[in-house]
Amino acid sequence: MRSSTRVRMLRTFAAAALIGALLLPAAAPATAQADNVLRVGTTQDLDSMNPFQTALVTGFEVFTLNYDLLVNFGPDLEPVPGFAESWTQSSDGLTWTFKIHDGMTWSDGKPATAEDARWTLQLVLDALATEDGFLGAGYLDPYVSNAGVTKVEAPDATTLVVTTDRPNAQVLQMYIPIVPKHVWEKVTPATMSDFTNDVPIVGSGPYQAVEWQVGQFIRFEKNKSYWKDAGGADEVIIQIFSSADTMVQALRTGQLDYAHGVNADQFDALKNEPDIATVAGTANGWTEFGFNTYGTGTGKTIDGGGPSTKALQDPKFRDAIGYAIDKQQLVARVLGGYGEVGTTNVAPFQVKWHVEPDRPRTFDIELAKQKLDAAGYVLQGDKRLDKEGKPLNLRLYMPDSETTYPASAQFIQDWLKQLGIAVSTQVFDSDTLTALMLPPEGGDPVNKADYDLFIWAWGGDVDPNSLLEIFTCDQIGSSSDSNYCNPAYDALFEQQNKATSDQERKDLLAQMQNLIYDEAPYHILFYDAQLEAYRTDRFSGWQNQPTSNGVPLFGYGSLGYTLLKLGPAATPEPSAAAPTATASGSVASPAPSAGGGGSSGASSSTPLIVGLIAVIAIVVVGGFALSRRRASATDDE
Amino acid sequence: MGSGYLARRLIQAFLTIVMIVVLNFILFRLMPGSPERAALRIPGISQEVYQATRVRLGLDKPVFPDQLVAYAGSTVRGDLGYSYKYRGQPVAEVIGSRVWPTLILFGLGELIAIGVGLALGAYTGWRRGGPIDYVGNGLSLILYSMPYFLLGMILLVIFAVGLGWLPVSGMFELGARYGSWVDQLGDFAAHLVLPLATVSLGLIGQYSILMRSSVIETLGEDYVTTARAKGIIDRHVLTRHALPNALLPTVSLIAINLGYLIAGAITVEVVFNWPGLGTLTVDALTARDYPVLQGVFLFLSITVVLANLAADIVYGMLDPRVKS
Amino acid sequence: MTAPAVRADELRAGRLRLRLRGWRDFGARYLQRREGVLGAVLIGFFALLAIAPGLFVGPLETATSATGARMAAPDAVHVFGTDELGRDILNLTVHGARVSMIIGLLATLVTIFLGVGIGIVSGFVGGWIDNVLMRITDFFLVLPTFVLALILAPILREIIGTEAEVFGIRMTLYVIVIVIGITSWASTARIVRSQTLSLKERAFVDRARVIGGGPGHIMWAHVLPNVLGLIVANTVLTFAGAILTETSLSFIGLGDPFQPSWGQLLDAARSSGAPGLGAWWYFMPPGVCIILVVLAFTLVGGALDDLLNPRLRARR
Repeated sequence: MRSSTRVRMLRTFAAAALIGALLLPAAAPATAQADNVLRVGTTQDLDSMNPFQTALVTGFEVFTLNYDLLVNFGPDLEPVPGFAESWTQSSDGLTWTFKIHDGMTWSDGKPATAEDARWTLQLVLDALATEDGFLGAGYLDPYVSNAGVTKVEAPDATTLVVTTDRPNAQVLQMYIPIVPKHVWEKVTPATMSDFTNDVPIVGSGPYQAVEWQVGQFIRFEKNKSYWKDAGGADEVIIQIFSSADTMVQALRTGQLDYAHGVNADQFDALKNEPDIATVAGTANGWTEFGFNTYGTGTGKTIDGGGPSTKALQDPKFRDAIGYAIDKQQLVARVLGGYGEVGTTNVAPFQVKWHVEPDRPRTFDIELAKQKLDAAGYVLQGDKRLDKEGKPLNLRLYMPDSETTYPASAQFIQDWLKQLGIAVSTQVFDSDTLTALMLPPEGGDPVNKADYDLFIWAWGGDVDPNSLLEIFTCDQIGSSSDSNYCNPAYDALFEQQNKATSDQERKDLLAQMQNLIYDEAPYHILFYDAQLEAYRTDRFSGWQNQPTSNGVPLFGYGSLGYTLLKLGPAATPEPSAAAPTATASGSVASPAPSAGGGGSSGASSSTPLIVGLIAVIAIVVVGGFALSRRRASATDDE
Repeated sequence: MGSGYLARRLIQAFLTIVMIVVLNFILFRLMPGSPERAALRIPGISQEVYQATRVRLGLDKPVFPDQLVAYAGSTVRGDLGYSYKYRGQPVAEVIGSRVWPTLILFGLGELIAIGVGLALGAYTGWRRGGPIDYVGNGLSLILYSMPYFLLGMILLVIFAVGLGWLPVSGMFELGARYGSWVDQLGDFAAHLVLPLATVSLGLIGQYSILMRSSVIETLGEDYVTTARAKGIIDRHVLTRHALPNALLPTVSLIAINLGYLIAGAITVEVVFNWPGLGTLTVDALTARDYPVLQGVFLFLSITVVLANLAADIVYGMLDPRVKS
Repeated sequence: MTAPAVRADELRAGRLRLRLRGWRDFGARYLQRREGVLGAVLIGFFALLAIAPGLFVGPLETATSATGARMAAPDAVHVFGTDELGRDILNLTVHGARVSMIIGLLATLVTIFLGVGIGIVSGFVGGWIDNVLMRITDFFLVLPTFVLALILAPILREIIGTEAEVFGIRMTLYVIVIVIGITSWASTARIVRSQTLSLKERAFVDRARVIGGGPGHIMWAHVLPNVLGLIVANTVLTFAGAILTETSLSFIGLGDPFQPSWGQLLDAARSSGAPGLGAWWYFMPPGVCIILVVLAFTLVGGALDDLLNPRLRARR
């Protein structure tokens, strides 16, 4: 009878094994092939397929694949043909004439003409003329308004004439996708937010989205009628990962070709992987430690909100704090050495415009104390008081989107404590934080700008304008998060916008950068690094944009995709046959070499893990078994 | 099973669902940030746009009864509103595309866990004090004490990252083209193994503990002792008397536990990037996409209520004691 | 009216003596349960860590006070290695014990408070109140409470605010405590109600009623103490559940990076890519602690359950 019970147990296990056997073919490497599909990974989800509705980097990447910009961006961000093949500027600098590719078609076969471009730009102009003054989510229309566009005309199918109110080259940098009029015709500024722009997309860009599994991936097919070769991949998949960790593993095991945004430790680990290239670019932006300067100049206060002390409005106070921030330390410890120490509000990515400050601060806690004392913020016991005699207890807020924020906050909290300033920290989700930081000027009286300090980040455009603008008085209640207002800065902003030569603009920008650095509504902590990794065994032709300090994809425009070629890079002519053999070898074995390629790095620790688990299991089970034996023995007595 | 019993269960389930809808409505009113602001997601919009949105969303009307009635009406029609995050995408569609991966993962996980867990529990209970009981019950306790996602992380590190036997994440290989449906199924199964193992192992611990104690309890009952005394051979005592009676409470507990299972579901999917309701829930939480969160809550709640209803009915048919 | 009072006091004193002898008895029987002893020892160990983490590993390391290299493997100085900011994992894990255990304890108290309150009122008062309360209880039993917790957490954060720090614990963690309490009281309420129903029929409650005790007094002075004795095992098991729930909530991003619990450490380990980097030392220590604590409470709960109410198995 005992044996028959065993038979039953065996039967049960056999059933389980059968289920296992059903799954077994699984364990073998998948026979499926993906050799001409470019698989790009990111951890940021896509929010909308409608270019005018998206607020996220992934959304921008998606629409530049779907659609052409009027003028695309080259390897060094110079203007290259996009929807237009060439352009000329009139002698007075006010009129631009674009020649549209002759005989170009949309991906549905309908002709793509200057009229489509005119219609798109006119839609933006119409929106700017409405009372609200923006289109969709409001992220794209500033390109048109900053370029001073007043009129667009399409005299014939291949000619587009754009008139501006002042001579400037920003017309060539407008990040506006040219959309097909015959699909979009019914869309107006008022109905833009209802237009979901469902797949399959009709566009003129190199790849069109044909499938969007929300929260999972976007699949694109190559545009056969693109005006030049759209690139080596027949399909592009942008896959959304819930964590950078799974994304990196997918890259290592050959299930992914490009990983956008890995962290410093992952980057270091990937450096030594075969067939994987890593590139550390400079982000066109920064992470800042900002002050709520609400009331500067105006003396305005908010009932039940606003900064907790007037000290935050005092440039001397903010300047003194700047000496207590060891940015070198932050770059080394928080960023793992990747990234640059932050200074001015035009990132070094903007090689042409960035200047280092004339009066740089150094990390010196003692000097910071002296400066605070001199400015009238005296120490009482171990607490520093503001000029009203109230101890400084500041609230430092940050979004939960990056782990670098709380890490930096811990440092800042400690440094300010050494000055006698107490800092309490809090993490919010981005939406809650946005609402919390908005002042009533945002149009809703419930918003009270109820915060003191914050850590957050900005990313910019090819032109520095958008990141310069956030410090203007006009942006209070909109994109300004420091509520900083200085008429001198605003005047400079207007002047540089109208500058007619690069040199003139650069001089003005230098003044603006120094002004913000000295007045310090922000202390820019660091310019983040853009850490990316990609496989080199399936595609070649990866082009960093800009060539000096950029990354291949997730840059500006769609160039990176169109330059890719199928297959690993051809061996340089002089090299011998041996490397070629390896290269072709890896092509010949198309199944992802999951076990071989992916196991270094981690495999060394695997035995440890297995060992650890085994030890725990043995100890606990053993101890438990022992205890039960005794327990049951006593029970039976 | 009388029809009265069935009717009572049906009415109870219906009332529960009504309560879920009402709770959902209340939660929506409590959410941080006004819905109209969140729906627009634009700082610094004009009062006109703001008002227009309020009217469009029906937020200018009184909360009770107008808004509640409108909400209940649209819920019944399957209109769960629109996602904040995925601008303009209907919540029902967003959720719909994520249901079947979760269903497969947890349906199979439940089946395996019920099979293995109940067998293990029955055996360890029957052979209480034997070596298999020591090891089996000890392991079950450890599995039961382990958060699902930790188990998943460990399996992932060992079998996918370390040994490279199985894929790391997702449900299919990205961009794969399949020669036949067999290949596709194989690829799917390969991706399924680790998350399924995680779910099953986690549940096996729980179910075998439940079953074990249930069997031990049953073995102490008079009728079992009597049966044994009568000289009926042990195997028959176990299969004819003890097991059926031990199964009933266990099965009903499994149905009740469905709600708890969902916590595990969510975290396991996140670890393996499994494109089901769990990852959707966490993504929605990160983006504070309340309509989607609520939709998921509504969907899962109703599913659990219906599952419990089904279990109750089955229970009623099996157990002769439940008559009235 | 004085006489009955004296009698009641005598009664109480007698019961106390009885109870003391009972405790000694009970202690001896408990000690025979080796799995219960193992669990109790483990709980004692972690309670010690939670009470005085500084005694074992010094103050909580912050990014500033960290001394190690990034993601360094275990060595003589950092026996469990370091995290991505160079903080000592042992230090973080031991301090995490305090956070996790306090959240577990407080959440259990809230759960028991709600469960006992609703259970006693429902069972004792009866009638339509019982009906309504039990419908609500059934409702919460069926709900996928974890998803409800996910929705409630941000709402409560908004309502309660997150500024203050009470008894050295940040408000965000109290939010987690309340969320766990709100979502997990139902099974306790069920058990307490059925206990109350049977107590209601017992002689001493009748006596109390006869001598003129109001329902509030009877519930407080007679039913509550007896019920509490009966739900000890349930309470211990609730603790295990609370720790698990806290862990899962933190893991999906509802924790507080400035006051890391074990779950928060696991979340940090995952978001810094520790599993893929093979940095097992980052997530195994907090992971093993969670397993051991939950196991310990489960073992103790099981042992108590067997001893105290052999016919009534706590179900979870």
